[in-house]
Amino acid sequence: MKSEGFKRHGSNSYVAEFAENEREILINLTEQIIELLAERIDHGQEDPLAAMVGITSHDSPPEDEVLHRLLPNAYQDEVDSAEFRRYTESTLRSKKQAHAMAMRMYLKSAEDGTVDLEHDGANAWLGAINDMRLALGVRLNVQERTQDELELLAPDDPMRGVYIVYGWLGWLQEGLIEALMDES
Amino acid sequence: MVKTDTHIEEQIREIFSSDAPWVTIVWDDPVNLMTYVTYVLMELFGYPKAKAQELMMKVHTEGKAVVSTGSREEMEHDVARLHEYGLWATLQRGDQAI
Repeated sequence: MKSEGFKRHGSNSYVAEFAENEREILINLTEQIIELLAERIDHGQEDPLAAMVGITSHDSPPEDEVLHRLLPNAYQDEVDSAEFRRYTESTLRSKKQAHAMAMRMYLKSAEDGTVDLEHDGANAWLGAINDMRLALGVRLNVQERTQDELELLAPDDPMRGVYIVYGWLGWLQEGLIEALMDES
Repeated sequence: MVKTDTHIEEQIREIFSSDAPWVTIVWDDPVNLMTYVTYVLMELFGYPKAKAQELMMKVHTEGKAVVSTGSREEMEHDVARLHEYGLWATLQRGDQAI
Protein backbone atom coordinates (compact mmCIF):
# COMPACT_ATOMS: atom_id res chain seq x y z
CA MET A 1 0.00 0.00 0.00
CA LYS A 2 1.52 3.28 -1.14
CA SER A 3 -1.03 6.00 -0.52
CA GLU A 4 -0.23 8.51 2.20
CA GLY A 5 -3.90 9.01 2.88
CA PHE A 6 -5.99 12.15 2.99
CA LYS A 7 -4.55 15.59 3.64
CA ARG A 8 -6.42 18.83 4.09
CA HIS A 9 -6.00 21.40 1.31
CA GLY A 10 -7.60 24.71 2.19
CA SER A 11 -10.95 25.07 3.88
CA ASN A 12 -13.02 22.42 2.11
CA SER A 13 -10.77 20.08 0.20
CA TYR A 14 -9.40 16.71 1.30
CA VAL A 15 -6.97 15.14 -1.12
CA ALA A 16 -5.43 11.67 -1.39
CA GLU A 17 -3.46 9.91 -4.07
CA PHE A 18 -3.99 6.23 -4.69
CA ALA A 19 -1.87 3.74 -6.58
CA GLU A 20 -3.72 1.86 -9.30
CA ASN A 21 -4.04 -1.34 -7.23
CA GLU A 22 -5.37 0.64 -4.25
CA ARG A 23 -7.93 2.35 -6.46
CA GLU A 24 -8.98 -1.02 -7.87
CA ILE A 25 -9.40 -2.54 -4.41
CA LEU A 26 -11.53 0.40 -3.28
CA ILE A 27 -13.70 0.35 -6.43
CA ASN A 28 -14.17 -3.38 -6.00
CA LEU A 29 -15.24 -2.94 -2.36
CA THR A 30 -17.76 -0.20 -3.21
CA GLU A 31 -19.28 -2.51 -5.82
CA GLN A 32 -19.49 -5.38 -3.34
CA ILE A 33 -21.32 -3.21 -0.83
CA ILE A 34 -23.76 -1.95 -3.50
CA GLU A 35 -24.44 -5.51 -4.68
CA LEU A 36 -24.78 -6.91 -1.18
CA LEU A 37 -27.41 -4.32 -0.28
CA ALA A 38 -29.20 -4.97 -3.59
CA GLU A 39 -29.51 -8.65 -2.67
CA ARG A 40 -31.96 -7.63 0.00
CA ILE A 41 -34.76 -7.24 -2.52
CA ASP A 42 -38.32 -6.69 -1.43
CA HIS A 43 -39.82 -10.08 -2.15
CA GLY A 44 -43.57 -10.18 -2.58
CA GLN A 45 -43.89 -6.44 -2.81
CA GLU A 46 -47.28 -6.27 -4.48
CA ASP A 47 -48.40 -2.84 -3.44
CA PRO A 48 -46.75 -0.29 -5.75
CA LEU A 49 -47.87 2.59 -3.53
CA ALA A 50 -46.20 1.01 -0.50
CA ALA A 51 -43.05 0.50 -2.56
CA MET A 52 -43.13 4.11 -3.69
CA VAL A 53 -43.21 5.48 -0.15
CA GLY A 54 -40.51 3.08 0.94
CA ILE A 55 -42.48 0.49 2.91
CA THR A 56 -40.80 -2.88 2.53
CA SER A 57 -42.03 -6.40 2.96
CA HIS A 58 -39.25 -7.03 5.47
CA ASP A 59 -40.10 -7.06 9.12
CA SER A 60 -37.41 -9.47 10.26
CA PRO A 61 -33.67 -8.79 10.24
CA PRO A 62 -31.55 -10.20 7.39
CA GLU A 63 -30.36 -13.78 7.94
CA ASP A 64 -26.98 -12.97 6.42
CA GLU A 65 -24.73 -11.83 9.23
CA VAL A 66 -23.09 -9.03 7.23
CA LEU A 67 -26.41 -7.59 6.05
CA HIS A 68 -27.71 -7.85 9.60
CA ARG A 69 -24.82 -5.73 10.84
CA LEU A 70 -25.37 -3.16 8.09
CA LEU A 71 -29.12 -3.09 8.73
CA PRO A 72 -29.41 -3.58 12.50
CA ASN A 73 -32.48 -3.58 14.74
CA ALA A 74 -33.53 -0.17 16.06
CA TYR A 75 -35.16 -1.52 19.21
CA GLN A 76 -34.16 -4.25 21.61
CA ASP A 77 -37.81 -5.29 21.47
CA GLU A 78 -38.48 -7.57 18.46
CA VAL A 79 -42.02 -6.32 17.76
CA ASP A 80 -41.06 -2.63 17.78
CA SER A 81 -37.98 -3.46 15.69
CA ALA A 82 -40.04 -5.26 13.06
CA GLU A 83 -42.45 -2.34 12.75
CA PHE A 84 -39.61 0.18 12.46
CA ARG A 85 -37.82 -1.97 9.89
CA ARG A 86 -40.90 -2.19 7.66
CA TYR A 87 -41.02 1.58 7.33
CA THR A 88 -37.34 2.49 7.29
CA GLU A 89 -35.14 -0.34 6.01
CA SER A 90 -35.42 0.48 2.32
CA THR A 91 -34.43 4.10 3.03
CA LEU A 92 -31.43 2.95 5.04
CA ARG A 93 -30.37 0.62 2.22
CA SER A 94 -30.65 3.44 -0.33
CA LYS A 95 -28.58 5.79 1.83
CA LYS A 96 -25.83 3.22 2.29
CA GLN A 97 -25.84 2.46 -1.42
CA ALA A 98 -25.65 6.19 -2.14
CA HIS A 99 -22.52 6.49 0.05
CA ALA A 100 -20.86 3.60 -1.79
CA MET A 101 -21.96 4.92 -5.20
CA ALA A 102 -20.56 8.38 -4.44
CA MET A 103 -17.25 6.86 -3.38
CA ARG A 104 -17.18 4.68 -6.51
CA MET A 105 -17.84 7.71 -8.71
CA TYR A 106 -14.96 9.67 -7.18
CA LEU A 107 -12.62 6.73 -7.70
CA LYS A 108 -13.79 5.99 -11.24
CA SER A 109 -13.20 9.57 -12.32
CA ALA A 110 -9.79 9.74 -10.60
CA GLU A 111 -7.88 8.22 -13.48
CA ASP A 112 -4.58 9.70 -12.29
CA GLY A 113 -5.29 8.35 -8.80
CA THR A 114 -5.93 11.74 -7.18
CA VAL A 115 -9.16 12.03 -5.22
CA ASP A 116 -10.30 15.47 -4.06
CA LEU A 117 -13.26 15.50 -1.67
CA GLU A 118 -15.32 18.33 -0.26
CA HIS A 119 -17.07 17.95 3.11
CA ASP A 120 -20.18 16.04 1.95
CA GLY A 121 -18.11 13.77 -0.27
CA ALA A 122 -15.82 13.06 2.67
CA ASN A 123 -18.80 12.06 4.82
CA ALA A 124 -20.03 9.70 2.10
CA TRP A 125 -16.55 8.16 1.99
CA LEU A 126 -16.45 7.74 5.77
CA GLY A 127 -19.86 6.02 5.77
CA ALA A 128 -18.93 3.75 2.86
CA ILE A 129 -15.51 2.83 4.32
CA ASN A 130 -17.22 2.07 7.61
CA ASP A 131 -19.71 -0.26 5.92
CA MET A 132 -16.78 -2.06 4.27
CA ARG A 133 -15.06 -2.41 7.64
CA LEU A 134 -18.27 -3.68 9.26
CA ALA A 135 -18.68 -6.25 6.48
CA LEU A 136 -15.04 -7.41 6.62
CA GLY A 137 -15.18 -7.35 10.43
CA VAL A 138 -18.03 -9.87 10.43
CA ARG A 139 -16.07 -12.14 8.07
CA LEU A 140 -12.96 -11.80 10.26
CA ASN A 141 -15.06 -12.44 13.36
CA VAL A 142 -13.56 -9.45 15.18
CA GLN A 143 -16.33 -9.81 17.76
CA GLU A 144 -14.72 -13.02 19.06
CA ARG A 145 -11.08 -12.77 18.05
CA THR A 146 -8.54 -10.61 19.78
CA GLN A 147 -6.23 -8.19 18.00
CA ASP A 148 -3.30 -10.52 18.71
CA GLU A 149 -5.04 -13.50 17.13
CA LEU A 150 -5.71 -11.45 14.01
CA GLU A 151 -2.14 -10.15 13.86
CA LEU A 152 -0.87 -13.72 14.03
CA LEU A 153 -2.87 -15.07 11.09
CA ALA A 154 -0.58 -17.26 8.98
CA PRO A 155 0.61 -15.83 5.64
CA ASP A 156 -1.27 -18.58 3.78
CA ASP A 157 -4.49 -18.04 5.72
CA PRO A 158 -7.09 -16.61 3.29
CA MET A 159 -8.24 -14.31 6.10
CA ARG A 160 -4.79 -12.72 6.25
CA GLY A 161 -5.43 -10.62 3.12
CA VAL A 162 -8.87 -9.65 4.41
CA TYR A 163 -7.29 -8.49 7.67
CA ILE A 164 -4.70 -6.40 5.83
CA VAL A 165 -7.41 -4.64 3.80
CA TYR A 166 -9.52 -4.20 6.96
CA GLY A 167 -6.60 -2.55 8.75
CA TRP A 168 -5.74 -0.40 5.75
CA LEU A 169 -9.34 0.85 5.50
CA GLY A 170 -9.21 1.79 9.18
CA TRP A 171 -5.99 3.72 8.59
CA LEU A 172 -7.49 5.50 5.56
CA GLN A 173 -10.66 6.37 7.50
CA GLU A 174 -8.69 7.65 10.49
CA GLY A 175 -6.56 9.90 8.27
CA LEU A 176 -9.63 11.39 6.59
CA ILE A 177 -11.23 12.09 10.00
CA GLU A 178 -8.02 13.77 11.20
CA ALA A 179 -8.01 15.93 8.07
CA LEU A 180 -11.68 16.85 8.65
CA MET A 181 -11.09 17.70 12.31
CA ASP A 182 -7.89 19.61 11.60
CA GLU A 183 -8.82 23.18 12.48
CA SER A 184 -5.44 24.71 11.74
CA MET B 1 -48.67 11.17 52.58
CA VAL B 2 -50.55 13.60 50.39
CA LYS B 3 -47.27 14.85 49.01
CA THR B 4 -46.09 11.34 48.18
CA ASP B 5 -49.34 10.53 46.39
CA THR B 6 -49.03 13.61 44.27
CA HIS B 7 -45.49 12.61 43.41
CA ILE B 8 -46.54 9.12 42.35
CA GLU B 9 -49.43 10.52 40.32
CA GLU B 10 -47.01 12.80 38.53
CA GLN B 11 -44.70 9.93 37.78
CA ILE B 12 -47.54 7.81 36.45
CA ARG B 13 -48.76 10.68 34.30
CA GLU B 14 -45.27 11.09 32.92
CA ILE B 15 -44.96 7.40 32.08
CA PHE B 16 -48.25 7.39 30.14
CA SER B 17 -48.00 10.78 28.51
CA SER B 18 -47.03 10.78 24.85
CA ASP B 19 -44.23 13.29 25.34
CA ALA B 20 -42.40 11.28 28.02
CA PRO B 21 -38.73 11.30 27.00
CA TRP B 22 -37.17 8.57 24.92
CA VAL B 23 -33.46 7.94 24.60
CA THR B 24 -31.03 6.91 21.86
CA ILE B 25 -28.31 4.52 22.98
CA VAL B 26 -25.06 3.82 21.15
CA TRP B 27 -23.53 0.40 21.87
CA ASP B 28 -19.86 -0.55 21.80
CA ASP B 29 -18.67 -2.20 18.63
CA PRO B 30 -15.21 -3.71 18.04
CA VAL B 31 -15.06 -2.38 14.47
CA ASN B 32 -15.89 1.31 14.74
CA LEU B 33 -12.84 3.46 15.42
CA MET B 34 -12.93 5.76 18.45
CA THR B 35 -12.20 8.80 16.29
CA TYR B 36 -15.00 7.78 13.91
CA VAL B 37 -17.58 7.48 16.71
CA THR B 38 -16.50 10.92 18.01
CA TYR B 39 -16.69 12.45 14.53
CA VAL B 40 -20.16 11.00 13.81
CA LEU B 41 -21.53 12.32 17.14
CA MET B 42 -20.14 15.79 16.34
CA GLU B 43 -21.43 15.73 12.79
CA LEU B 44 -24.94 14.35 13.42
CA PHE B 45 -25.76 16.05 16.71
CA GLY B 46 -23.58 19.14 16.47
CA TYR B 47 -21.90 18.26 19.77
CA PRO B 48 -18.65 20.02 20.62
CA LYS B 49 -15.58 17.80 20.38
CA ALA B 50 -15.20 17.47 24.18
CA LYS B 51 -18.79 16.24 24.65
CA ALA B 52 -18.57 13.85 21.69
CA GLN B 53 -15.30 12.42 23.06
CA GLU B 54 -16.79 11.99 26.52
CA LEU B 55 -19.78 10.07 25.10
CA MET B 56 -17.48 7.95 22.91
CA MET B 57 -15.33 7.06 25.95
CA LYS B 58 -18.47 6.09 27.85
CA VAL B 59 -19.49 3.77 25.00
CA HIS B 60 -15.98 2.34 24.92
CA THR B 61 -15.54 1.76 28.67
CA GLU B 62 -19.11 1.04 29.78
CA GLY B 63 -20.35 -0.68 26.62
CA LYS B 64 -23.09 1.87 25.95
CA ALA B 65 -24.12 5.50 26.36
CA VAL B 66 -27.25 7.60 25.95
CA VAL B 67 -26.37 10.04 23.18
CA SER B 68 -29.67 11.91 22.78
CA THR B 69 -33.03 12.39 24.48
CA GLY B 70 -36.37 13.51 23.08
CA SER B 71 -39.68 12.33 21.66
CA ARG B 72 -40.01 8.85 20.20
CA GLU B 73 -40.14 10.29 16.67
CA GLU B 74 -36.98 12.32 17.24
CA MET B 75 -35.15 9.29 18.63
CA GLU B 76 -36.25 7.15 15.66
CA HIS B 77 -34.79 9.81 13.41
CA ASP B 78 -31.52 9.83 15.39
CA VAL B 79 -31.23 6.03 15.32
CA ALA B 80 -31.83 5.98 11.56
CA ARG B 81 -29.05 8.55 11.03
CA LEU B 82 -26.65 6.64 13.29
CA HIS B 83 -27.42 3.42 11.37
CA GLU B 84 -26.72 5.25 8.12
CA TYR B 85 -23.19 5.85 9.42
CA GLY B 86 -22.82 2.33 10.80
CA LEU B 87 -23.00 3.02 14.53
CA TRP B 88 -24.80 0.40 16.58
CA ALA B 89 -27.78 2.30 18.04
CA THR B 90 -31.19 1.55 19.54
CA LEU B 91 -33.93 3.64 21.11
CA GLN B 92 -36.16 3.02 24.09
CA ARG B 93 -38.25 4.79 26.72
CA GLY B 94 -36.12 6.90 29.02
CA ASP B 95 -37.52 5.25 32.14
CA GLN B 96 -36.77 1.73 30.92
CA ALA B 97 -33.72 -0.06 32.31
CA ILE B 98 -30.83 -0.04 29.83
